[in-house]
Amino acid sequence: MSKDQFKTRLQIAKDKILKKELSNKNQNSSSIGAAFKLSTELVAAVAVGTIIGFILDKTFGTKPWLIIIFFFVGVVAGIINVVKSAKNMQK
Amino acid sequence: MAANPMTQFEVYRIGPEIKVGTFDISFTNASLFMIISSLAILIIFNLGSKKNSLIPNKLQLMAELSYTFVAKMIGDTAGSKARPYFAFIFSLFMFVLFCNMFGMIPYTFTVTSHIIVTFVLASFIFIGVTIIGFIKHGFGYLKLFVPSGVPVVLLPLIVVIEIISYLSRPISLSVRLFANMMAGHTMMKVFGGFVISLGIVGGWLPLSFSVALTGLEILVAFLQAYVFAILTCIYLNDALNLHH
Repeated sequence: MSKDQFKTRLQIAKDKILKKELSNKNQNSSSIGAAFKLSTELVAAVAVGTIIGFILDKTFGTKPWLIIIFFFVGVVAGIINVVKSAKNMQK
Repeated sequence: MAANPMTQFEVYRIGPEIKVGTFDISFTNASLFMIISSLAILIIFNLGSKKNSLIPNKLQLMAELSYTFVAKMIGDTAGSKARPYFAFIFSLFMFVLFCNMFGMIPYTFTVTSHIIVTFVLASFIFIGVTIIGFIKHGFGYLKLFVPSGVPVVLLPLIVVIEIISYLSRPISLSVRLFANMMAGHTMMKVFGGFVISLGIVGGWLPLSFSVALTGLEILVAFLQAYVFAILTCIYLNDALNLHH
């Protein structure tokens, strides 16, 4: 085999590997993980917000108000979390 | 045959009851499977790294592959500063992976399908990362809660939101692993129950579903261990390289 022939064959093999890597990136196995990541991120922040509101309500005796406020703050935090991690995924 | 799909998650005592004060620290099936998976990791990696031949055998290849896999993951997400924490992340990843995978064997117990196990893992990570952040940056670590370029009027609200989103990390980390494992195993049990109740005539459809679900569950078992480790790296990255 001549040197040129070998070079072209190497180039073809390299291109194939590159193509495979590119197609692997879009596989749906990692998107299941991404979907779960986003959904739990949203739920967890809402839960934490509500728990904080509940605890503050108990300590200050302002029964329904702080839990309502912190629930919505939690929702906002959850949405911000989702947007942040979605931005991270696009990198 | 147990018809209830939740009986597989039952924790029961093996051997005598041990009590320390009011705490029950008896040896349970959960502890048994944690020990089994830790021992399996120890044995595999000891055997794999015993003989450092240039042409690796299967075990050595496996050990080396998992080493480079985790090393690459840390390098990609947290950078070179996170190198000292390699041992921790590697053992975390391997422990979660082996617990998940042992759960895939019939008649075993899935440790990670209990929220207390995953929550303890996640809160250790959370506390550790917070301590590392404070050691590296002092009180400057609190800047994480104050994003730059925010008008002063909005600042109190933003800080509260950032604190909530920081506190939600261990919960989202633990709930993700626990929910995935529990949902998957329950679903497999439910479809297995369908096979029995529909009998030889109609049981073939749920049986094929069961086979497909087993494949999916093995994928999820690996994926969730990976996600758990990679999120630890991301949190570590936030603590080591403070930028906002």
